[in-house]
Amino acid sequence: MNERQKNASIEAILDQGLIRPVTAGRHAYNMLRELGLRFIFWDTGYGLFFAALSLGFASALFILAPAEYRASAAVTIAPLLLLFAVSFAETAERFGGLYEIKQTCRYTIRQIAALRMMAYSAAGTVFTALIAYVGTQGEFGFLSLFSLCLAALFACAALSISLLRRTRNGWIPASLTAVWLLGNIALMFAAGSGWERLLRNIPAGAALAFAVVCAALFAWQLSKMLREVKSYAIA
Amino acid sequence: MLSLNRVTKQYGSFAALEEIDLEFAQGVYALLAPNGAGKTTLIKMLATLIFPTKGEILWNGDDIVALDASYRDIIGYLPQDFGYYRNHTPREFLRYMAAVKCLKRDQVAGRIDELIEQVGLSDVRDKKMRKFSGGMIQRVGIAQAMLNDPRILILDEPTAGLDPKERVRFRNLISSLSKDRIVILSTHIVSDIETIAGSVILIKDRRLFAQDSPAAICRTLSGKVFETDAIEQIKTPRLLLTERQENGRTITRFASERGIGDSGSVRSVEPNLEDVFLYVYRDEEE
Repeated sequence: MNERQKNASIEAILDQGLIRPVTAGRHAYNMLRELGLRFIFWDTGYGLFFAALSLGFASALFILAPAEYRASAAVTIAPLLLLFAVSFAETAERFGGLYEIKQTCRYTIRQIAALRMMAYSAAGTVFTALIAYVGTQGEFGFLSLFSLCLAALFACAALSISLLRRTRNGWIPASLTAVWLLGNIALMFAAGSGWERLLRNIPAGAALAFAVVCAALFAWQLSKMLREVKSYAIA
Repeated sequence: MLSLNRVTKQYGSFAALEEIDLEFAQGVYALLAPNGAGKTTLIKMLATLIFPTKGEILWNGDDIVALDASYRDIIGYLPQDFGYYRNHTPREFLRYMAAVKCLKRDQVAGRIDELIEQVGLSDVRDKKMRKFSGGMIQRVGIAQAMLNDPRILILDEPTAGLDPKERVRFRNLISSLSKDRIVILSTHIVSDIETIAGSVILIKDRRLFAQDSPAAICRTLSGKVFETDAIEQIKTPRLLLTERQENGRTITRFASERGIGDSGSVRSVEPNLEDVFLYVYRDEEE
């Protein structure tokens, strides 16, 4: 290493050292403060409306589902709020003509999308609790059903954000929703009571542990996406 | 100063741009190349929409990736396909864009009115944009790009689809905006830049072909461009550039490497940017 390279390295290390990295939480807070909720969710109105409609329809199906399929139906429906919101809102955003411009603003549209996902996952948790409360029956208690639903929610959340971060295809969130829905329905039809029994036999602790791992993965991906600079969002 | 050092952009094994070295100071820079030559790739790299596979882009010596939001704070960008909300008025739309750009609310109102006036949309500032012409929409686009008073204004094919009157108006607007900033615009319409660009950048075969003033670029063809009304009599190898009708005769403009000189019906003429464009990209034309 020559003198010039050595000096450049020292300068680079000093530069890095002098800049205090902003934590993901701080970054999210700054975004919230500077943009405000109104502008974070601006443009997602139609998407969220269609998400709410679809969710209403799915919830009605859940309530009408036979009691012997309660666990499999609950697991299917638990992540739908998050999946529908991401699908409708983010797909519309990606195909909107302003995506490129928004990607060149102080907080890029991908960073805003990450913040929205935080909100969707929080709302999804509340929805999951509601599903578990409505679905609780007999010996299959609230905690068991809630743990299963949470595991499904955060597995989908972690998967969604991983795909959003790594792919440029605007149809990815919608595809994931379709795969989740169709896959679960296929399982219910194909494996029927066997699938239901399997889900009911999963200990609440194991499901909760799985949910925590998925939530940690989701949070890790979220923190990366919130601070991501070099994101290849545009083809 | 904005500089690109040996910037390469690859998509898998396909190289969209290779080893580009460029420097931008104040003024209008025009990226001139045929469609598909890599103009938009370069523009998108400058706007941080994509990043170089190799090389670096520096703003005042700092890598724009490391600068992150502080670089995005000083750029204004108008993409080729500018999306807008049809049911918004220019004022509402600019208010929204100002919020996304995190501009201070107390300064925004005045700035929006000032920009609307500058782009000549004062009469329609509270009218919904759904009935706006292409030129009016582009002017709203310019206004949104100027909201943060950017040091670098990046415009991707800003005059595409505009009628001649709108194009002239747009050129004048760009010229007025370039006094204290870098304006980088990509185009394949030569007349857009002849009068306003201080520097023309030609990209050929994915590499930088030339960067100079329009006059200097034109000089590279000096003594090689001719006009004649009897092109069939010219036996030397030549490249036909343009044709026009004059007093019932067809005047053909052509370029020839061999010095023909003024003789008979042939006369040497001053080359213009269009001649250079057609000459440089003759392979792409065929």
